[in-house]
Amino acid sequence: MLTRIVGDRVYDFSHVVGGRNEVMGPVSLAPGFDGDMFAVITRIDRTCDVARFKVGNMAGEEEVISRMGERGESPGQFMWPSGIALDGESNVYVTDAWTDRVSVFSRDGDFLRMFGESGSGEGRFRRPSGIVMDGDGNLLVVDTHNHRVQKLATDGRYISEWGIRGSAEGEFNSPWGITTDTDGFIYVADHKNHRIQKFDADGGFALALGSHGSGDYEFDHPSDVAVDPEGDIYVCDWANHRVQAYDSEGNYLTTFIGDAQELSKWQLEYVRSNPDVYKARRRVYSLEPEWRFALPTAVAFDAMHSRLMVADTQRWRIQIYNKLLDYSDPQFNI
Amino acid sequence: MANDDLALMAHLMRRAGFGATREELEERLAKGYEATVEELLRPEDHEPVDIYEFLRYYQFQWKPGTAGGQGQTGWVWRMVNTEAPLQEKMCLFWHQIFATGVSKVDHYDEITDMIDLFREKGLGKYRDLLVDVSRNPAMLFWLDNHENHATAINENWGRELLELFTMGVGNYTEEDVYECSRAFTGWTMTPKLPRFHMGRWDWYFEFKEDDHDHGEKNFLGHKGDFDGEDIIDIVLAHSATARFIARHLYSFFVADEVQVPAWQVTPPRDPEAVEVIANALTESDFDMSHVLRVLFNSDFFKEARFAKVKNPTEVVVGTVRMVGGVELPGPEIFDWANHITYMGQELLNPPSVEGWHSGMEWVNSGTLMKRANFVSDMVGDLKRPGVRNIVEWVKGECTSPESVVRACLELLGEVEVKDETMSELVSHAEIEGDLAWDEANEADSARRVSEMLQLIVATREYQFA
Repeated sequence: MLTRIVGDRVYDFSHVVGGRNEVMGPVSLAPGFDGDMFAVITRIDRTCDVARFKVGNMAGEEEVISRMGERGESPGQFMWPSGIALDGESNVYVTDAWTDRVSVFSRDGDFLRMFGESGSGEGRFRRPSGIVMDGDGNLLVVDTHNHRVQKLATDGRYISEWGIRGSAEGEFNSPWGITTDTDGFIYVADHKNHRIQKFDADGGFALALGSHGSGDYEFDHPSDVAVDPEGDIYVCDWANHRVQAYDSEGNYLTTFIGDAQELSKWQLEYVRSNPDVYKARRRVYSLEPEWRFALPTAVAFDAMHSRLMVADTQRWRIQIYNKLLDYSDPQFNI
Repeated sequence: MANDDLALMAHLMRRAGFGATREELEERLAKGYEATVEELLRPEDHEPVDIYEFLRYYQFQWKPGTAGGQGQTGWVWRMVNTEAPLQEKMCLFWHQIFATGVSKVDHYDEITDMIDLFREKGLGKYRDLLVDVSRNPAMLFWLDNHENHATAINENWGRELLELFTMGVGNYTEEDVYECSRAFTGWTMTPKLPRFHMGRWDWYFEFKEDDHDHGEKNFLGHKGDFDGEDIIDIVLAHSATARFIARHLYSFFVADEVQVPAWQVTPPRDPEAVEVIANALTESDFDMSHVLRVLFNSDFFKEARFAKVKNPTEVVVGTVRMVGGVELPGPEIFDWANHITYMGQELLNPPSVEGWHSGMEWVNSGTLMKRANFVSDMVGDLKRPGVRNIVEWVKGECTSPESVVRACLELLGEVEVKDETMSELVSHAEIEGDLAWDEANEADSARRVSEMLQLIVATREYQFA
């Protein structure tokens, strides 16, 4: 089902961006302001960088614009890039879960500065992961193994924090992804507590969503969360290989399991240039396994284009769903 | 500090696990030897290793590529962090027998699935394991059973089932190999998705009825329309199978044997012990937990201390567990997997269907240097919590050079050395005189303890388990 109607919402599968060289192993996404997309890319050979690319509106329009960063521990490099965020000037902030710092690049890829070091004090990190800019222009950084969220100025100056290790309201166990909504609320993927927590702009607890499992209202190691302008919540349910959608009150809407029935431009080029691959794909009982998510790591909602982006990490691609705001049903008897 | 009970516990943990720290040994000693054996045989009582903690930082280890070192990393992580070390040791044991390699399979995940099978069923009934291995896609491809058709017999799987997985050479005829292979026709795998444009895909077993030879087979004196499971039942009922698996268990857990191809001409090192193990197999219907209980509680096992050369996995995993500080994944896990390879044991890629040659063949001038250098680097790192713990133990008890040497030997796992080696170690320790543990000298004494650890791990004796 490529188009799904959920109450008054309509989601329509759009297309795939991906390929073994161009978008291998996306682990974090940040929509840009010009119809572009920034993605943290990791690869089998352990190299990594950030790709800025044009998404387009259909398969074949994708195009890599630039790349920034590389594997290493020197300034401008990262070992385990984990989260990505943009500020109002499209400067790019990338967390590194190994060096415990945040690197900052210009949108064109020039390294600007970095901040953070290992530790549990103010402005220090233990395996930072998710990162997002709040409505006041400050950074919210998920400090995974300190089990907290830190609010920092864009120069790394400490402002505040909340969270300790635990499973009660407002506590975390190895949190990962983070996002904000248009009302300033903050959402955190509380990874090992298998839930999403919602906070007000000061870190005050507002809502907990989900428990461990594989049914509705259940997650298995959620890795990220996104919220659209209508307040709908998208949970990247990592170990269940799916994305679940909830309304702003936490009511279940639908589940996405991946619908990539067509290959991306770069994948198609690969298949067409390898006759044995082409033949093997025609010989299998079903291509359906290719459609589905495999340990998707990140979700992002591109409000400008009203589309949900899912980092389908193990399948080296990003699957894109449009949230249609002007959909009308086809004639029933066609 | 030393006592024989502690030394015996250290022996058990080296063989049934990957060694143990002094603290763990004392905890286990308080429970008792037999209770520890029982605990080791019940991996289900422990929390499994959180593989998602690993995958979060090693995303590509979910379906890893086939470049060297990539596929083994997740298994090494499990071995380093498991609370049920015998379960992982049995994975190693079965991997040595069902030696399936990425050099041909070219798909680490399928071989890792087989390791998962060993983890799940390795301590259970051998029949269950053998049936599942016969259907395992990596094994089907490794031994060409996907090319074993009713109209065109391929004997590779059938031959190795009899030669390497059950009875051993000399207990069957060429006709038995052919008839055995006929019974496994049609055991194949589904057509598989190609791997390159979006990663790797699982393989699946498939039985093709129309490609199975339903004719009568004449196998080891039995006649009938046998399929694969019938064949497995027949070979498990043959006395040669219990003896063959018993000798494998003896060689892996008790004392190094000659290499498998020599078994048909060289009698077991301890025929009575092999007979005890074989009887345990037969009387328990090949229940591996029962057999290991008998083995670990036997006198021949308890008396076989340092009768085996550590395999490279034992060297690396045992060292990492001892020095500690690895609760969270770091980039170095990849290197640990490669160090095992450099020492001669590329996990998930054995050199042939026979597995690795073990015992003294683990050691040559190159691998010995790799072993000594790796362990020396680790125990020489005073930032490692396990090394700091050793220093703290020594600090509490020792000042004279000889007492420091003895303490270090004990704390490295009740290591026993010859008098000549002991004399050389003490001589080295005496160069700088007694150790002082006051504030001004503590750091220097810690350095000397660390250096003594480095010296010990480079001795001949330390290479034995």
